[in-house]
Amino acid sequence: MGNAPAQFDTSIEIVTPENIAFRYRVAGPFRRLPAYLIDLLIRCGVAGAGTIGLAVLLGMAGLGAGWVAGASLILWFVLAWFYGGLFETCFNGQTPGKRLMQIRVVSIDGQPINGLQAVLRNVLREVDAQPITCYLAGLLACAMNHRFQRLGDLACGTIVVVEERPWFEGVVRSGEPEAVRLAGAIPANFQPSRTLARALAAYVQRRRTFSWPRRLEIAGHLGEPLREQLNLPANTNSDLLLCALYDRTFFTDQTDLGAREGSPFMEPQDTSYQLAVPLPVGELPENR
Amino acid sequence: MKVSDLLQSRRATWRELEQLCAWMEGRSRRKIPAEGATRFSALYRAACADLALADAYQLPPGTVHYLHQLVGRAHSQLYRTRTFHYETWFHELFVRVPQRLFSDNCLRLAFVVFWGVLLLSAMMAYNSPKFAERMMGEPMMMQLEESFSEPITGRSSQMGGGMAGFYIRNNAGIGLRCFAFGLLFGIGGLYVTVYNAAAIGAAFGHMARLPQSANFYHFVTAHGPFELTAVVLSAAAGMRLGFSLVDTGGFTRLASLRRAAQETMPTMGAAVLMFVLAALIEGFLSPSGAPYWLKAAVAVISAGMLMFYFVILGYPREEGHPQEN
Repeated sequence: MGNAPAQFDTSIEIVTPENIAFRYRVAGPFRRLPAYLIDLLIRCGVAGAGTIGLAVLLGMAGLGAGWVAGASLILWFVLAWFYGGLFETCFNGQTPGKRLMQIRVVSIDGQPINGLQAVLRNVLREVDAQPITCYLAGLLACAMNHRFQRLGDLACGTIVVVEERPWFEGVVRSGEPEAVRLAGAIPANFQPSRTLARALAAYVQRRRTFSWPRRLEIAGHLGEPLREQLNLPANTNSDLLLCALYDRTFFTDQTDLGAREGSPFMEPQDTSYQLAVPLPVGELPENR
Repeated sequence: MKVSDLLQSRRATWRELEQLCAWMEGRSRRKIPAEGATRFSALYRAACADLALADAYQLPPGTVHYLHQLVGRAHSQLYRTRTFHYETWFHELFVRVPQRLFSDNCLRLAFVVFWGVLLLSAMMAYNSPKFAERMMGEPMMMQLEESFSEPITGRSSQMGGGMAGFYIRNNAGIGLRCFAFGLLFGIGGLYVTVYNAAAIGAAFGHMARLPQSANFYHFVTAHGPFELTAVVLSAAAGMRLGFSLVDTGGFTRLASLRRAAQETMPTMGAAVLMFVLAALIEGFLSPSGAPYWLKAAVAVISAGMLMFYFVILGYPREEGHPQEN
């Protein structure tokens, strides 16, 4: 993470008081628009239901139509100007629509927003909605900074981030029986560097989506030099080699070590790999 | 230890943190028992540590991504929105806002612009009916003339309730809009202010020339001070916001805007409060058949309250003794 490049996609890094840097994805217009529409729907629904409710309630209390009109006008005023502000204050930066779309308003530094920011960014929505509530000003402002902040967000120092329910993705096995056998041919003292391990994991997770020729083509870039370093035969399949290295790096159980005997890949030079010089940790990928 | 074993051992704690997050998302801070909170913070710290060491553990990218999301989700449960504190609001509204406004150049500018345009427009409308017609439009003028053609004798209280609601929605909405448009370098707010002042001035000037002027004054006297002050106040708050982009005071433009936004929001709160007070007076007292002296007295009292607020509460005091006097 230390050598993370400057932001080039929609994720931003936040450093917490625990001195941890974690990443949020900034929510773009296509996530915020549905949230806004849901909120609009709720607002209209509450305004309609509230007006009927007030009419019934005040009617039972014996008050006339004038009072009902006054009270419902105040309700509409509050809903129009303070709906978002009140919800974002009380529900930790989320309105019902934002909650459904799994986005949240936070300060630029990742801290929660305070009531002042919540109310202000929703009052300034009026400017973003220009011209004629089609949100062109807000969209333009979003497009012109790298955090998708509309004018109200810029004035309050807030951002809207995506907060997905995390979905655990553990280490998957490559699931290739050939790779298991090949893993036995890899020297026991093989230690991948951190970057190599990351590259292996990234490759194995995605390789299933590629066709066989494509896999070979991609894996060849890393597999060929590795094969030479490990003194494996020239006809070693690069794709399977990467799978084997992956299994060796990420899994403990060495039951596959038994496969060393009788592996077709080791017959030509069955001593050479044991004599191979131990690889200095981290040398491989840095050289490339 | 290989990664798969590590994940095996950590999996349970991460899962538990996930469940605690989901559990906490649905409830307020007060309803979370102490043991839940301590367990949560312990798990959160553990997840933070795992994320910090993810590189050293050689965790695969998918797991790192998961950890980022998990820590982010837990972070926003641990650090929650601070809700309003009523004591600080009181202090803000009655101590800091008047003091800030007393030496606010934007308020002076808004005051001069608003009243200058209003008086000018009133004078021109008084002298030429053409100007008033241009300014307000024919139907609006006819409506205005008609509604004050008879002396004010009062209307039912439920009508008053309806009108008060209407005034709150309409006038406070205008004020908030005026404030929001100030963001456009102050020009938007200036435009709305000038437009409002010209329209109000034209109405005044036009009505003053007609025989029913007495009825008109009878209506507008009582709520005038609060309403007009609130209009000026929201214009000033908007200008403060917009001009902070021009005169940054050594900050970057965005930082300057952010600072101004923090300062102007309470001012806007005061303005909305005044709009509500004005609407209540306008809805109930102004159209009532109460004698003119009573309405005039309300106007004088409210003007006095505003003077007290702006001048006495706002008079600059020595730093370090904010509680004195």
